[in-house]
Amino acid sequence: MAADSVAGAHLHDLPEPILTQIFSLVEDVRSRNAMALACRRWRCLERSTRAALALRGHVRSPFLLPTCFAAVEHLDLSLLSPWGHHPFLLHYQQQQQYNYLVDQVALVAARLAQAFPGVSSLAVYARDPSVVAALAPLWPGLRAARLVRWHQRPPNLPLGADLAPLLAACPSLASLDLSQFYCWTEDIPPALQEHPVVAASLARLDLLCPASNEGFRSSELADIAAACPNLTHLLAPCVFNPRCIEFVGDDALVALATSCPRLSLLHLVDPATLSPARGDSDAKEDAAITGLGLEGFFARLPQLEDLALDLCHNVKDSAPALEALSYKCPKIKSLKLGQFQGVCKGTWLHLDGISVCGRLESLCIKNSADLTDSSLATIARGCRRLSRLEIHRCDKVTETGIKKLSSMLRSTLVDVSISGCQLLDATRSLRALEPIRDRIERLHIDCIWASPDLDQLPQTPERTAADDSDADDVYDEIPGESRNKKCKYAESNHDDIESSCFWFRTWARLRSLSLWIPAGEVLTPLGDAGLLSCPQLEDICIKVEGDCRTCPRPRQREFGLSFLALYPRLAKMKLDCGEAVGYALTAPTGHMDLSLWERFYLQGIDGLSLYELDYSPPQDKEVNQRSLSLPATGLIQMCSSLRKLFIHGTTHEHFMRFFLGMPLLRDVQLREDYYPAPENDMSTEMRVDSCSRFEEALNSRRIPD
Amino acid sequence: MGGNSNSAKAASRLLDILNVRVVGGGDRVLVLSHGFGTDQSAWNRVLPFFQRDFRVVLYDLVCAGSVNPDHFDFRRYTTLDAYVDDLLAILDALHVDRCFFVGHSVSAMIGILAAIRRPDLFLKLILIGASPRFLNDRDYHGGFEKGEVEKVCAAMEANYEAWVRGFAPLAVGADVPAAVREFSRTLFNMRPDISLFVSRTVFNSDLRGVLGLVRVPCVVVQTAKDVSVPASVAAYLKAHLGGRTTVEILPVEGHLPHLSAPGALVQVLRRALACSNR
Repeated sequence: MAADSVAGAHLHDLPEPILTQIFSLVEDVRSRNAMALACRRWRCLERSTRAALALRGHVRSPFLLPTCFAAVEHLDLSLLSPWGHHPFLLHYQQQQQYNYLVDQVALVAARLAQAFPGVSSLAVYARDPSVVAALAPLWPGLRAARLVRWHQRPPNLPLGADLAPLLAACPSLASLDLSQFYCWTEDIPPALQEHPVVAASLARLDLLCPASNEGFRSSELADIAAACPNLTHLLAPCVFNPRCIEFVGDDALVALATSCPRLSLLHLVDPATLSPARGDSDAKEDAAITGLGLEGFFARLPQLEDLALDLCHNVKDSAPALEALSYKCPKIKSLKLGQFQGVCKGTWLHLDGISVCGRLESLCIKNSADLTDSSLATIARGCRRLSRLEIHRCDKVTETGIKKLSSMLRSTLVDVSISGCQLLDATRSLRALEPIRDRIERLHIDCIWASPDLDQLPQTPERTAADDSDADDVYDEIPGESRNKKCKYAESNHDDIESSCFWFRTWARLRSLSLWIPAGEVLTPLGDAGLLSCPQLEDICIKVEGDCRTCPRPRQREFGLSFLALYPRLAKMKLDCGEAVGYALTAPTGHMDLSLWERFYLQGIDGLSLYELDYSPPQDKEVNQRSLSLPATGLIQMCSSLRKLFIHGTTHEHFMRFFLGMPLLRDVQLREDYYPAPENDMSTEMRVDSCSRFEEALNSRRIPD
Repeated sequence: MGGNSNSAKAASRLLDILNVRVVGGGDRVLVLSHGFGTDQSAWNRVLPFFQRDFRVVLYDLVCAGSVNPDHFDFRRYTTLDAYVDDLLAILDALHVDRCFFVGHSVSAMIGILAAIRRPDLFLKLILIGASPRFLNDRDYHGGFEKGEVEKVCAAMEANYEAWVRGFAPLAVGADVPAAVREFSRTLFNMRPDISLFVSRTVFNSDLRGVLGLVRVPCVVVQTAKDVSVPASVAAYLKAHLGGRTTVEILPVEGHLPHLSAPGALVQVLRRALACSNR
């Protein structure tokens, strides 16, 4: 905008239509807010061109709805306060005064339609069907809908009743996203079959909800496919276990492909893979899916670009099927395979299995027990465009394999995730990624610090021999600046003590880091492992998982969040302790309470200048409680630069009031987005009016910027 | 008339403020009253067993984390009598004239005082983890030494200081001496100024003198290993409570049996509630 002040002409002097056009192209919300503050005319323009809006606050008072955003097309009502509550109900009016509720609903709905006439994409927290029944008819031209529900499905609801009002009112619906909507698998096929017109126009159907641990059976899958022949995107959990009745096997897959030939994105996963906890995958059983069946399946889906088949049962000898995939589905760009064996043998010089898919850009291989280093090398030779690689629980992969792959794919690989592999602890994973240290942008590693059994592996002499040949390969394949690289590799590999060379170990482009750490471990060895210098790191996601009741007591007092102060640009943090299980109030003698654990984990957070924090407190499974304790609240409150705080759990009103002391805090919400979300009467900590009181207090403060 | 409607309004306001909830159906009324530091959700695992046969009344004490902190009047709630006033006001507002009362820890003391004031209102008192006085005395073993209680108050004062200055209150129930730890764990769950105030109220209370005034039959429920309430206290209560008293010992550990061992507690409660079918 500053560049426009040429020869005295100012942006402000442009005629209205052009200015409107310019404004409508700006998407970043903070920029738009800043634009709106410049002058009245700009504010009108900005308001009238905003295309996406998420409403917060309570819809209780319909006159408070903003009416200036006439151009909004994407409206998000799923975050209305208090989170998860029925948007039209006042809390005490649930039983009494039913007539008043009906009027209230009509009034608010009419007001919404008036305020946002052009909505084509809607997201709403649909606690029960009445919400959708009130909202869907307002926008009959709705093209995309996302329903959210983490609470339990209302009892005594007929099958499909959740979706029926939506499908009935919006005949041109093209995208339905139920990935955060808890319902039964039996709800979907009847709803789709009763509204054939809408089902036929659906192009995108997302049914992957982590809350339900059931999958669709073969008949249900067939019904859905038959009802929606024009699907291009389908994501669904399926029953792949051959011991269950109506399991999904080769026939079911072929039937699906025959009904929906236009599929370009297909994710069929076993529901066990959707749970947030990392389970044990010791399934030795075979799936009912064979290589031949898969070949027939791929043959019927020529438009396929993104495929995920994440199973919990083995698919043996999948190499021929994967080769067929590359011939039959030439557009394939992204692939995720869970529990596929024989993905790429890599024993000879020719490319086999998955490495034949030369156009692949994103690859995720999970639980593949026979994936070896040579497989990885072959994949690197074959998939030259690979930019994203994820490896989970492939126990034969070693540091050498990853190193070779990353050096061969140096020019394209920017997103790597290594998790659950026995031979790859944190230090080794980071060493293996040396060749792309200056290019990698997103990274996930498991924080496994000391693995004593790995010291038995053959040491340096063999590695340097292999690395010399690596260096040769790299030299041949990448022109230009590789000579300097070779010198650097030579230095780093022939140095006996690597820890003395950390000064040049900068991860120059790393923007986003994700860590998994078992309960009871600390974060501080991350520096020694190799992640000392990350100048561009903005975003970190830490997941703590484990049983706090049985893990040994941590030796240090602090988890080590203060270590993250080393990263100068760190602004956004997600700390997920939701899978750390412990005792809230009933710890037997000698055990640590969850309040002590929270104090351990959050100590030091005030030293980080965070802008946004997403925190999931550890849970007490026996009482289904995920709640902030006093030390946790106090420690978070000390984080004075925080603007946005989202807590995925509950807390007491007394504790929420602590947050009012944080000067820059603008946006706080308690989002219990886990299943089952606590009903208001079951968990009394944060009631509806507590939320309202808190928000009024929060909103009435002066905002410095 | 004006006075009546005012008091009716005040009564319904109290029901609102203290989150009073009545669930279940039946002709008998059961009141569940939680101890300091938790709230009525502590009864969630026990509640389903009684919903069918009783009208269950649940409410939060004014210091509970789910109650608007503005309602905690530091001048009013200096002794347990104010909490008793609240309980009786709730029961009057709900037009309950006879009920069974289950109280945990400090609520048990509140129940005892309420039963002294209005003996006709309570059919039976079930006291879980009750203790008329926590501090040890010459001939009385309440479980807590003065020094230990001082440590708890010191930790709470440190929290209060930190909180007032905008720092993080970091002391939790596990930082205090073992004898007091189990009891004060829930106390630290409240806002620092309220918890400091309330714990002073609790540790200064001494109801040994009035136990004899209770006429209502009582059941004293105690866990086998509760660090905050020694076994001798149950015997003391049985000896000194004025009405017919039985003692039930739960073979579990801890001060919160309704959270840690709800199954065992439900059996004891069922026995206690079935005996009197008046």
